[in-house]
Amino acid sequence: MELINLGIRSIFIDNMIFAYFLGMCSFLAVSKKVSTAIGLGAAVVFVLGLTAPVNWLVQEYILKEGALTWISPAFETINLEFLQFIMFIAIIAAIVQLVEMVVEKFTPALYGALGIFLPLIAVNCSILGGSLFMVQRDYTLAEAAVFGAGSGMGFMLAIVALAAIREKLKYSNVPDGLKGLGITMLITGLMGIAFKSFIGIVL
Amino acid sequence: MSTEVLEPTATTKKSEPLFSKRRRKFVLDPLNDDNPITVQVLGICSALAVTVKMEPTLIMAVSVVFVIVFSNLIISLLRNLIPGRVRIIVQLGVIATFVTLVSEVLKAYNYEMYKVLGAFVGLIITNCIVMGRLEAFAMGNKPWDSVLDGLGSGFGYAWVILTVAFFRELLGSGSVFNHQIYDASIMPTNSLFIDSIGAFMVLGILIWIQRTKTGYVEH
Amino acid sequence: MQRSNTYILVFTAIMTIIIGGVLSLASQLLGPAQKKSIELDTKSQILSAVMDIDKKKDDVLGIYDKRIHSFVVDAQGNVVETDEKGNKIIPENVNVLKYSKKPCSERLLPVFMLMNEQDANKVDAYIFPMYGNGLWNKIYGYIALEADMNTIKGVSFGHVQETPGLGARIATKEIQDRFKGKKIFEGDELVSVVMLKGEKKDPSLFGPHEVDGMSGATLTGKGLNAMIKDYLECYKPFLLKTKNQQAAL
Repeated sequence: MELINLGIRSIFIDNMIFAYFLGMCSFLAVSKKVSTAIGLGAAVVFVLGLTAPVNWLVQEYILKEGALTWISPAFETINLEFLQFIMFIAIIAAIVQLVEMVVEKFTPALYGALGIFLPLIAVNCSILGGSLFMVQRDYTLAEAAVFGAGSGMGFMLAIVALAAIREKLKYSNVPDGLKGLGITMLITGLMGIAFKSFIGIVL
Repeated sequence: MSTEVLEPTATTKKSEPLFSKRRRKFVLDPLNDDNPITVQVLGICSALAVTVKMEPTLIMAVSVVFVIVFSNLIISLLRNLIPGRVRIIVQLGVIATFVTLVSEVLKAYNYEMYKVLGAFVGLIITNCIVMGRLEAFAMGNKPWDSVLDGLGSGFGYAWVILTVAFFRELLGSGSVFNHQIYDASIMPTNSLFIDSIGAFMVLGILIWIQRTKTGYVEH
Repeated sequence: MQRSNTYILVFTAIMTIIIGGVLSLASQLLGPAQKKSIELDTKSQILSAVMDIDKKKDDVLGIYDKRIHSFVVDAQGNVVETDEKGNKIIPENVNVLKYSKKPCSERLLPVFMLMNEQDANKVDAYIFPMYGNGLWNKIYGYIALEADMNTIKGVSFGHVQETPGLGARIATKEIQDRFKGKKIFEGDELVSVVMLKGEKKDPSLFGPHEVDGMSGATLTGKGLNAMIKDYLECYKPFLLKTKNQQAAL
């Protein structure tokens, strides 16, 4: 129950885009067409759902103060947290690379759809953000996995919705200075207001 | 990919002054005509989340300038040594090192801000501006040029997020740098600006004004 | 130019060593200062539940050492001195956030006693740390009870991270002052205090267990209520025990 609740929260309420502005770069850059938005969204769900639990394991068994006691009790006072950023980003880059290779080998069709987006994802803020939030909020492994996948879905929902709006927007007469980024920001703000209505939903 | 593609794009004479016209352009262009946020659409991610108040925004801006200048410098110094195949991970490593330094220093000497900024300091790593400058500029240019380029992009980023923070704090909390300007009896504060929505609105309008002035139109 | 694999390996190895070295050095050098600022932060938060204190001006650590006496109790209200491994527990270092996810019976519950300035054996207040869920993120707080274990002497709340919303007001003095003088017990029955919905800004409208709400932040208020209730329940055996001891004196 707790987990379902967390999942719903991370998709709708703690939405990566509307509440934390994470992954904005790709959100704005790859939201011109619905089909590409779906591709990127799926890739984010995939990678975020994978990196959050893996980074949880890294944090729990390598980085945290006293985390290395499983090797030897003598390591109890060792605290490697200062390596957190570098480890997380390295793991994310490695997983993205790995996913790319696996997908390419086993499901060429999926690779055709996701392929070009995967390299983009290593530097998507929402991926690293997911891992950092998970540490900050002291999630358990299961919670981290649900949170990762949920946040990814939240991102996908947001980017697909925006892409749909932008496709229609092509036919509107927008002032010159607002074209492109400007109007997209305003739309995102309005969408954010809509997402506010999910606040308070508790299962 | 080989590093040959990234050979210096501009040929510099040895006797060129430290702030020649060409070099001033590196600093001045990103401030307005080629602003990383409003024109190039980079680095919006971590920027908006911290702009509720001026103070954390300032810390964030300083951190980003620091990280971008020094990673530009280091990458530029190493540009002929870095193997093309692993350059992305090397760049990320260098950025992550500087970001960790910033975060450790904050934790030691300004714990308040460390708590407020939380995970967002770490997110400088994936700030597209830093990554973008390393890849597009530092990999192919001399150290001093790269430092100037970093300063330019850093300040271009800084003034935009500070402006956004100024309006959000003024309209949302009625204060500037935590100094109360007016209270609710004079004009009610608008909670929309404390919320993330306010950030999108302020930035959208800022982009509109700036692009109308520079005449830049996106198609 | 295409480099050989050996070159790439050597290059990455050297980079890793340099980066690792720089970071370890920084962490070693800054470690003591970090520990100190965390300690200062925790202690000033504990103290701010019972007095106005400015971290920058006042001698927080000095006042803390002089006035605060701390220990840890379990859910039965008995004092615990060592953890399961037999190490001595330092109350200030108990990770309250971590325990907040477990049921009361598995929690370590720190208690901070504020001693009287003149009479070092007299307790002025008991301070209890707590963690709970706000709207966006974790919230935490310290609630200080008078020696009667019933009247709230003061509170200090905060949110773990910059909260994008109106709930951030729980960290302000204006809101925290509203808790002063409220009661948590009705006889031996724990009723806790509840922040109501809506904001009336008139203290006379509220009963001894009610607190004026924050407009636009009802959900943060709800989280706050749940947190206070949850922790007071955990501390209840200790509260009753101390209360009865005092009654017997």
